[in-house]
Amino acid sequence: MTLRVLDPTNEAKPATGEAAQRLLSLRGTTIGFISNGKEGTKEYFGHLGRILQEEHGVARIVMRTKSNYSAPADKHIVDEIRQWHAAVTGIGD
Amino acid sequence: MPLTSRTYEVDDLMAAQELYHSNGWTDGLPVVPPTEAAVLACLDWAGMTPDQLIGIEPVREQAITAEKIAINAVMAGCLPMHFPVVVAAWQGMLKEEFLLHGTTSSTGGCAVLVIINGPIRKEIGASGGFNALANSDRATASIGRAIRLGLINVLDVRPGAIDRSTLGHPGKFSYCIAEDEEDMTWTPLAQMRGVPEGLSAVTVMAAMGPRQLMNEWTHEPEELLETFAAEMRGNQRHYSIYGGNYCIVVPKQLRDQLQAAGWSKADIGRFLYERARIQRKEWGEVGKGAVVRDRGESVYTALESPEHLLVVGAGGPAGGFGAVIPPWMGHKTKAVTVPIGACVDCGPEPAKPA
Repeated sequence: MTLRVLDPTNEAKPATGEAAQRLLSLRGTTIGFISNGKEGTKEYFGHLGRILQEEHGVARIVMRTKSNYSAPADKHIVDEIRQWHAAVTGIGD
Repeated sequence: MPLTSRTYEVDDLMAAQELYHSNGWTDGLPVVPPTEAAVLACLDWAGMTPDQLIGIEPVREQAITAEKIAINAVMAGCLPMHFPVVVAAWQGMLKEEFLLHGTTSSTGGCAVLVIINGPIRKEIGASGGFNALANSDRATASIGRAIRLGLINVLDVRPGAIDRSTLGHPGKFSYCIAEDEEDMTWTPLAQMRGVPEGLSAVTVMAAMGPRQLMNEWTHEPEELLETFAAEMRGNQRHYSIYGGNYCIVVPKQLRDQLQAAGWSKADIGRFLYERARIQRKEWGEVGKGAVVRDRGESVYTALESPEHLLVVGAGGPAGGFGAVIPPWMGHKTKAVTVPIGACVDCGPEPAKPA
Protein backbone atom coordinates (compact mmCIF):
# COMPACT_ATOMS: atom_id res chain seq x y z
CA MET A 1 0.00 0.00 0.00
CA THR A 2 1.59 3.23 -1.10
CA LEU A 3 1.40 6.14 1.31
CA ARG A 4 1.63 9.79 0.35
CA VAL A 5 3.05 11.73 3.29
CA LEU A 6 3.87 15.37 3.94
CA ASP A 7 7.04 17.35 4.63
CA PRO A 8 6.97 18.56 8.26
CA THR A 9 9.66 21.22 7.88
CA ASN A 10 9.25 24.91 7.35
CA GLU A 11 9.69 25.11 3.60
CA ALA A 12 8.94 28.83 3.51
CA LYS A 13 12.10 29.96 5.20
CA PRO A 14 13.06 33.59 4.77
CA ALA A 15 16.10 34.28 2.61
CA THR A 16 19.25 34.24 4.65
CA GLY A 17 21.86 36.96 4.24
CA GLU A 18 24.93 36.51 2.11
CA ALA A 19 28.32 36.05 3.68
CA ALA A 20 30.38 39.23 3.70
CA GLN A 21 33.40 39.45 1.44
CA ARG A 22 36.47 37.96 3.13
CA LEU A 23 39.18 40.36 4.23
CA LEU A 24 42.47 40.00 2.33
CA SER A 25 44.41 41.47 5.23
CA LEU A 26 43.71 42.46 8.82
CA ARG A 27 46.26 45.27 8.72
CA GLY A 28 44.76 48.64 9.60
CA THR A 29 41.26 47.25 10.14
CA THR A 30 38.71 47.72 12.89
CA ILE A 31 37.52 44.45 14.42
CA GLY A 32 34.49 44.27 16.69
CA PHE A 33 33.93 41.63 19.34
CA ILE A 34 30.40 40.82 20.53
CA SER A 35 30.33 38.95 23.82
CA ASN A 36 27.19 37.22 25.01
CA GLY A 37 28.02 38.59 28.46
CA LYS A 38 29.23 35.45 30.14
CA GLU A 39 32.39 35.37 32.21
CA GLY A 40 34.32 33.16 29.82
CA THR A 41 34.39 35.74 27.05
CA LYS A 42 36.19 38.43 29.00
CA GLU A 43 39.76 37.18 29.19
CA TYR A 44 39.52 35.16 26.00
CA PHE A 45 38.28 38.01 23.82
CA GLY A 46 40.79 40.39 25.41
CA HIS A 47 43.61 37.96 24.66
CA LEU A 48 42.42 37.41 21.11
CA GLY A 49 42.16 41.18 20.56
CA ARG A 50 45.75 41.68 21.70
CA ILE A 51 46.97 39.00 19.31
CA LEU A 52 45.10 40.61 16.43
CA GLN A 53 46.66 44.00 17.18
CA GLU A 54 50.18 42.88 18.04
CA GLU A 55 50.65 40.11 15.49
CA HIS A 56 48.29 40.99 12.66
CA GLY A 57 48.33 44.78 12.54
CA VAL A 58 44.70 45.39 13.45
CA ALA A 59 44.31 49.12 14.08
CA ARG A 60 41.37 49.10 16.46
CA ILE A 61 39.49 46.61 18.61
CA VAL A 62 35.92 47.35 19.71
CA MET A 63 34.46 45.30 22.56
CA ARG A 64 30.70 45.11 22.96
CA THR A 65 28.54 42.97 25.25
CA LYS A 66 24.94 41.92 24.75
CA SER A 67 22.54 42.94 27.51
CA ASN A 68 20.86 39.50 27.45
CA TYR A 69 22.97 36.48 26.62
CA SER A 70 19.90 34.55 25.45
CA ALA A 71 18.58 37.17 23.03
CA PRO A 72 19.92 38.65 19.80
CA ALA A 73 22.44 41.50 20.02
CA ASP A 74 20.95 44.84 21.02
CA LYS A 75 20.00 47.15 18.17
CA HIS A 76 22.71 49.70 18.96
CA ILE A 77 25.31 46.95 18.61
CA VAL A 78 23.87 45.68 15.34
CA ASP A 79 23.80 49.25 14.01
CA GLU A 80 27.45 49.67 14.92
CA ILE A 81 28.61 46.56 13.04
CA ARG A 82 28.65 48.37 9.68
CA GLN A 83 31.48 50.56 11.00
CA TRP A 84 33.69 47.49 11.50
CA HIS A 85 35.62 45.52 8.92
CA ALA A 86 34.84 42.23 10.67
CA ALA A 87 33.10 40.97 13.77
CA VAL A 88 33.89 38.15 16.16
CA THR A 89 31.06 36.68 18.20
CA GLY A 90 31.06 33.94 20.72
CA ILE A 91 29.59 32.48 23.86
CA GLY A 92 31.48 32.24 27.07
CA ASP A 93 30.17 29.14 28.81
CA MET B 1 -7.92 25.16 0.38
CA PRO B 2 -5.36 22.46 -0.56
CA LEU B 3 -2.23 21.70 1.40
CA THR B 4 0.98 23.09 -0.05
CA SER B 5 3.65 21.02 1.70
CA ARG B 6 5.89 18.84 -0.41
CA THR B 7 4.73 15.23 -0.58
CA TYR B 8 6.62 11.97 -0.65
CA GLU B 9 5.41 8.55 -1.75
CA VAL B 10 6.53 5.61 0.34
CA ASP B 11 5.81 1.92 -0.04
CA ASP B 12 4.51 1.21 3.44
CA LEU B 13 4.53 2.20 7.09
CA MET B 14 8.10 1.09 7.69
CA ALA B 15 9.33 3.01 4.67
CA ALA B 16 7.60 6.08 6.05
CA GLN B 17 9.47 5.65 9.33
CA GLU B 18 12.78 5.46 7.53
CA LEU B 19 11.96 8.55 5.46
CA TYR B 20 11.28 10.63 8.56
CA HIS B 21 14.16 9.26 10.63
CA SER B 22 16.71 9.57 7.82
CA ASN B 23 15.79 13.21 7.29
CA GLY B 24 16.09 14.07 10.98
CA TRP B 25 12.35 14.77 11.25
CA THR B 26 11.67 12.83 14.44
CA ASP B 27 12.54 12.80 18.12
CA GLY B 28 14.03 9.35 17.72
CA LEU B 29 10.74 7.52 18.21
CA PRO B 30 8.39 6.25 15.49
CA VAL B 31 5.91 8.77 14.12
CA VAL B 32 2.41 8.56 12.69
CA PRO B 33 2.74 9.17 8.92
CA PRO B 34 1.14 12.57 8.23
CA THR B 35 -1.20 11.98 5.34
CA GLU B 36 -3.24 14.71 3.73
CA ALA B 37 -6.47 13.30 5.16
CA ALA B 38 -5.13 13.24 8.73
CA VAL B 39 -3.75 16.76 8.50
CA LEU B 40 -6.93 18.16 6.98
CA ALA B 41 -8.95 16.51 9.75
CA CYS B 42 -6.94 18.47 12.34
CA LEU B 43 -7.38 21.73 10.47
CA ASP B 44 -11.10 21.12 9.98
CA TRP B 45 -11.59 20.41 13.68
CA ALA B 46 -9.98 23.72 14.59
CA GLY B 47 -11.74 25.60 11.77
CA MET B 48 -8.41 26.69 10.32
CA THR B 49 -7.13 27.01 6.79
CA PRO B 50 -3.72 25.51 5.94
CA ASP B 51 -2.12 28.90 5.38
CA GLN B 52 -3.51 30.44 8.55
CA LEU B 53 -0.72 32.19 10.37
CA ILE B 54 -0.18 30.93 13.92
CA GLY B 55 2.51 33.54 14.43
CA ILE B 56 6.00 34.62 13.46
CA GLU B 57 9.08 33.52 15.35
CA PRO B 58 10.42 36.91 16.38
CA VAL B 59 14.18 36.37 16.06
CA ARG B 60 14.52 34.46 12.81
CA GLU B 61 11.26 35.83 11.40
CA GLN B 62 9.93 32.42 10.48
CA ALA B 63 6.24 32.31 9.66
CA ILE B 64 4.48 29.43 11.42
CA THR B 65 1.39 28.19 9.58
CA ALA B 66 -1.42 25.95 10.74
CA GLU B 67 -0.55 23.36 8.09
CA LYS B 68 2.95 22.76 9.44
CA ILE B 69 1.79 22.63 13.04
CA ALA B 70 -0.92 20.14 12.04
CA ILE B 71 1.55 17.90 10.19
CA ASN B 72 3.74 17.69 13.27
CA ALA B 73 0.73 17.14 15.53
CA VAL B 74 -0.35 14.16 13.44
CA MET B 75 3.18 12.79 13.55
CA ALA B 76 3.12 13.07 17.35
CA GLY B 77 -0.05 11.00 17.56
CA CYS B 78 -2.55 13.80 18.05
CA LEU B 79 -6.20 13.32 17.22
CA PRO B 80 -8.01 16.24 15.59
CA MET B 81 -9.58 17.19 18.94
CA HIS B 82 -6.11 17.67 20.41
CA PHE B 83 -5.06 20.14 17.74
CA PRO B 84 -6.64 23.35 19.19
CA VAL B 85 -4.55 22.83 22.33
CA VAL B 86 -1.38 22.53 20.26
CA VAL B 87 -2.25 25.71 18.35
CA ALA B 88 -2.89 27.67 21.55
CA ALA B 89 0.41 26.47 23.00
CA TRP B 90 2.23 27.71 19.90
CA GLN B 91 0.47 31.06 20.13
CA GLY B 92 1.78 31.37 23.67
CA MET B 93 5.30 30.32 22.74
CA LEU B 94 5.42 32.93 19.98
CA LYS B 95 4.70 35.80 22.38
CA GLU B 96 7.80 37.92 22.74
CA GLU B 97 7.98 37.51 26.51
CA PHE B 98 8.33 33.74 26.15
CA LEU B 99 11.70 34.29 24.43
CA LEU B 100 11.29 31.20 22.24
CA HIS B 101 14.64 31.42 20.48
CA GLY B 102 16.59 31.83 23.71
CA THR B 103 14.73 29.07 25.50
CA THR B 104 15.09 26.55 22.68
CA SER B 105 18.70 27.29 21.80
CA SER B 106 20.16 27.64 25.28
CA THR B 107 22.73 25.29 26.71
CA GLY B 108 20.43 25.26 29.75
CA GLY B 109 18.29 22.59 28.14
CA CYS B 110 14.74 23.44 29.19
CA ALA B 111 11.53 22.09 27.67
CA VAL B 112 8.16 23.68 27.02
CA LEU B 113 5.77 22.76 29.82
CA VAL B 114 2.14 22.89 28.66
CA ILE B 115 -0.57 23.12 31.34
CA ILE B 116 -4.18 22.55 30.23
CA ASN B 117 -7.18 24.05 32.02
CA GLY B 118 -10.91 24.16 31.41
CA PRO B 119 -13.62 21.95 29.90
CA ILE B 120 -11.43 20.79 27.01
CA ARG B 121 -9.49 18.57 29.43
CA LYS B 122 -12.50 16.32 29.86
CA GLU B 123 -13.41 16.41 26.18
CA ILE B 124 -9.99 15.16 25.09
CA GLY B 125 -9.30 12.86 28.04
CA ALA B 126 -6.44 14.84 29.52
CA SER B 127 -5.99 13.47 33.00
CA GLY B 128 -4.56 15.33 35.93
CA GLY B 129 -4.58 12.23 38.07
CA PHE B 130 -2.26 9.24 38.37
CA ASN B 131 1.22 9.76 36.94
CA ALA B 132 0.28 13.33 36.02
CA LEU B 133 3.80 14.40 35.07
CA ALA B 134 4.47 11.36 32.89
CA ASN B 135 2.55 8.93 30.68
CA SER B 136 -0.83 9.62 32.22
CA ASP B 137 -2.94 9.63 29.07
CA ARG B 138 -2.97 9.85 25.28
CA ALA B 139 -3.94 13.52 25.06
CA THR B 140 -1.19 15.04 27.19
CA ALA B 141 1.43 12.64 25.81
CA SER B 142 0.70 13.49 22.19
CA ILE B 143 0.12 17.22 22.72
CA GLY B 144 3.44 17.59 24.51
CA ARG B 145 5.18 15.60 21.81
CA ALA B 146 3.57 17.72 19.10
CA ILE B 147 5.24 20.79 20.57
CA ARG B 148 8.67 19.15 20.46
CA LEU B 149 8.28 17.76 16.93
CA GLY B 150 7.07 21.17 15.75
CA LEU B 151 10.11 22.85 17.25
CA ILE B 152 12.39 20.28 15.63
CA ASN B 153 10.87 20.50 12.18
CA VAL B 154 9.45 23.98 11.83
CA LEU B 155 12.19 25.88 13.66
CA ASP B 156 15.16 23.50 13.24
CA VAL B 157 15.45 23.01 17.00
CA ARG B 158 17.52 19.88 16.54
CA PRO B 159 20.27 18.84 18.94
CA GLY B 160 23.48 20.39 17.70
CA ALA B 161 21.64 22.76 15.35
CA ILE B 162 19.49 25.42 17.02
CA ASP B 163 19.18 23.24 20.12
CA ARG B 164 22.51 23.63 21.94
CA SER B 165 21.41 21.98 25.19
CA THR B 166 24.20 20.46 27.21
CA LEU B 167 21.94 17.84 28.81
CA GLY B 168 18.29 18.62 28.18
CA HIS B 169 15.81 16.59 30.22
CA PRO B 170 13.18 13.92 29.56
CA GLY B 171 10.42 16.54 29.33
CA LYS B 172 11.79 17.40 25.92
CA PHE B 173 9.99 14.34 24.56
CA SER B 174 6.67 15.50 25.98
CA TYR B 175 5.86 17.82 28.89
CA CYS B 176 2.16 18.40 29.26
CA ILE B 177 -0.16 18.17 32.24
CA ALA B 178 -3.82 18.90 32.93
CA GLU B 179 -4.95 20.41 36.19
CA ASP B 180 -7.23 18.22 38.31
CA GLU B 181 -9.91 20.89 38.57
CA GLU B 182 -12.69 18.55 39.69
CA ASP B 183 -10.85 17.35 42.73
CA MET B 184 -9.96 20.68 44.31
CA THR B 185 -11.62 23.78 45.65
CA TRP B 186 -8.82 26.04 44.43
CA THR B 187 -9.20 28.40 41.50
CA PRO B 188 -7.79 26.79 38.36
CA LEU B 189 -4.48 28.14 37.09
CA ALA B 190 -5.95 29.72 33.96
CA GLN B 191 -8.45 31.73 36.02
CA MET B 192 -5.66 32.79 38.37
CA ARG B 193 -3.98 34.21 35.26
CA GLY B 194 -7.00 36.15 34.01
CA VAL B 195 -8.87 33.73 31.77
CA PRO B 196 -12.67 33.93 32.34
CA GLU B 197 -14.28 30.98 34.11
CA GLY B 198 -15.63 28.35 31.76
CA LEU B 199 -13.06 28.94 29.03
CA SER B 200 -10.35 26.43 28.28
CA ALA B 201 -6.76 27.62 28.13
CA VAL B 202 -3.16 26.52 28.01
CA THR B 203 -0.25 27.95 29.92
CA VAL B 204 3.22 27.48 28.48
CA MET B 205 6.40 27.82 30.48
CA ALA B 206 10.05 27.30 29.59
CA ALA B 207 10.72 24.76 32.27
CA MET B 208 13.46 22.63 33.70
CA GLY B 209 12.78 19.09 34.83
CA PRO B 210 10.51 18.46 37.83
CA ARG B 211 12.24 18.26 41.21
CA GLN B 212 10.17 15.80 43.21
CA LEU B 213 9.72 16.14 46.95
CA MET B 214 7.85 14.31 49.70
CA ASN B 215 6.33 15.26 53.02
CA GLU B 216 3.82 12.83 54.56
CA TRP B 217 4.58 13.60 58.19
CA THR B 218 2.62 16.74 58.97
CA HIS B 219 -0.71 18.43 58.31
CA GLU B 220 0.62 21.89 59.07
CA PRO B 221 0.45 24.06 55.94
CA GLU B 222 3.61 25.97 56.81
CA GLU B 223 5.56 22.75 57.24
CA LEU B 224 4.24 21.22 54.03
CA LEU B 225 5.08 24.34 52.08
CA GLU B 226 8.48 24.67 53.69
CA THR B 227 9.44 21.49 51.84
CA PHE B 228 8.51 23.20 48.55
CA ALA B 229 10.42 26.32 49.62
CA ALA B 230 13.50 24.26 50.42
CA GLU B 231 13.40 22.66 46.98
CA MET B 232 13.16 26.10 45.39
CA ARG B 233 16.07 27.33 47.47
CA GLY B 234 18.01 24.26 46.42
CA ASN B 235 17.41 25.15 42.79
CA GLN B 236 18.60 28.68 43.48
CA ARG B 237 21.78 27.35 45.02
CA HIS B 238 22.54 24.61 42.54
CA TYR B 239 21.11 25.91 39.26
CA SER B 240 20.04 29.55 38.98
CA ILE B 241 19.72 32.13 41.73
CA TYR B 242 17.45 34.42 39.72
CA GLY B 243 13.72 34.81 40.26
CA GLY B 244 11.09 33.88 37.71
CA ASN B 245 7.97 31.80 37.16
CA TYR B 246 8.22 28.68 39.27
CA CYS B 247 5.52 26.02 38.96
CA ILE B 248 4.62 23.75 41.85
CA VAL B 249 2.51 20.63 41.40
CA VAL B 250 0.44 19.79 44.46
CA PRO B 251 -1.15 16.33 44.65
CA LYS B 252 -4.48 15.59 46.24
CA GLN B 253 -3.11 14.40 49.59
CA LEU B 254 -1.24 17.65 50.20
CA ARG B 255 -3.95 19.73 48.53
CA ASP B 256 -6.61 18.38 50.87
CA GLN B 257 -4.56 19.38 53.89
CA LEU B 258 -3.85 22.87 52.59
CA GLN B 259 -7.46 23.43 51.53
CA ALA B 260 -8.81 22.15 54.85
CA ALA B 261 -6.63 24.72 56.59
CA GLY B 262 -8.09 27.46 54.38
CA TRP B 263 -5.02 28.10 52.27
CA SER B 264 -5.67 29.43 48.75
CA LYS B 265 -3.25 29.45 45.83
CA ALA B 266 -2.63 33.14 46.52
CA ASP B 267 -1.75 32.32 50.14
CA ILE B 268 0.74 29.73 48.92
CA GLY B 269 2.27 32.28 46.55
CA ARG B 270 2.73 34.76 49.37
CA PHE B 271 4.28 32.14 51.67
CA LEU B 272 6.73 30.84 49.08
CA TYR B 273 7.67 34.36 47.99
CA GLU B 274 8.82 34.99 51.57
CA ARG B 275 10.42 31.61 52.20
CA ALA B 276 12.09 30.78 48.88
CA ARG B 277 15.01 33.18 48.89
CA ILE B 278 18.73 32.91 49.49
CA GLN B 279 21.72 35.14 49.98
CA ARG B 280 24.34 35.21 47.29
CA LYS B 281 27.00 34.08 49.74
CA GLU B 282 25.27 30.67 49.89
CA TRP B 283 26.76 30.03 46.49
CA GLY B 284 30.06 29.78 48.34
CA GLU B 285 28.74 26.66 50.12
CA VAL B 286 28.04 24.84 46.85
CA GLY B 287 31.23 25.48 44.95
CA LYS B 288 30.27 28.77 43.31
CA GLY B 289 32.26 31.09 45.55
CA ALA B 290 34.04 32.57 42.55
CA VAL B 291 30.96 34.57 41.55
CA VAL B 292 29.83 35.74 44.99
CA ARG B 293 32.24 38.72 44.88
CA ASP B 294 31.24 41.65 47.08
CA ARG B 295 27.53 40.86 46.90
CA GLY B 296 27.43 38.10 49.50
CA GLU B 297 24.71 39.74 51.57
CA SER B 298 22.42 40.38 48.60
CA VAL B 299 19.10 38.54 48.84
CA TYR B 300 17.56 36.84 45.82
CA THR B 301 13.95 35.68 45.79
CA ALA B 302 12.93 32.65 43.74
CA LEU B 303 9.77 34.52 42.74
CA GLU B 304 9.81 38.10 41.55
CA SER B 305 6.40 38.46 43.19
CA PRO B 306 3.87 36.05 44.78
CA GLU B 307 1.84 36.10 41.56
CA HIS B 308 4.71 34.58 39.63
CA LEU B 309 4.10 31.21 41.25
CA LEU B 310 2.08 28.79 39.12
CA VAL B 311 0.24 26.43 41.47
CA VAL B 312 -1.14 23.35 39.71
CA GLY B 313 -3.27 20.72 41.41
CA ALA B 314 -2.44 17.37 39.83
CA GLY B 315 -1.40 13.85 40.69
CA GLY B 316 -2.81 10.58 41.94
CA PRO B 317 -5.15 10.43 44.93
CA ALA B 318 -2.60 9.10 47.41
CA GLY B 319 0.91 10.12 48.30
CA GLY B 320 2.52 13.22 49.72
CA PHE B 321 4.66 13.75 46.64
CA GLY B 322 4.83 17.19 45.13
CA ALA B 323 7.08 18.77 42.56
CA VAL B 324 8.83 22.05 41.97
CA ILE B 325 9.33 22.90 38.31
CA PRO B 326 11.88 25.71 38.01
CA PRO B 327 12.05 28.22 35.19
CA TRP B 328 14.74 27.93 32.55
CA MET B 329 16.59 31.10 33.60
CA GLY B 330 14.91 33.45 36.04
CA HIS B 331 12.89 36.28 34.59
CA LYS B 332 14.39 36.14 31.09
CA THR B 333 11.33 34.17 30.01
CA LYS B 334 7.75 34.53 31.18
CA ALA B 335 4.99 31.94 31.33
CA VAL B 336 2.16 32.77 28.93
CA THR B 337 -1.51 31.77 29.19
CA VAL B 338 -3.66 31.61 26.07
CA PRO B 339 -7.41 30.84 25.88
CA ILE B 340 -8.33 28.09 23.45
CA GLY B 341 -10.62 29.06 20.61
CA ALA B 342 -11.33 32.52 22.00
CA CYS B 343 -10.05 35.90 20.96
CA VAL B 344 -9.04 38.02 23.91
CA ASP B 345 -7.39 40.74 21.83
CA CYS B 346 -10.41 41.58 19.70
CA GLY B 347 -11.45 44.64 21.64
CA PRO B 348 -14.70 45.20 23.52
CA GLU B 349 -17.68 42.99 22.91
CA PRO B 350 -20.01 44.36 20.27
CA ALA B 351 -23.06 46.12 21.63
CA LYS B 352 -26.09 43.92 21.93
CA PRO B 353 -28.98 44.80 19.64
CA ALA B 354 -31.70 46.76 21.35
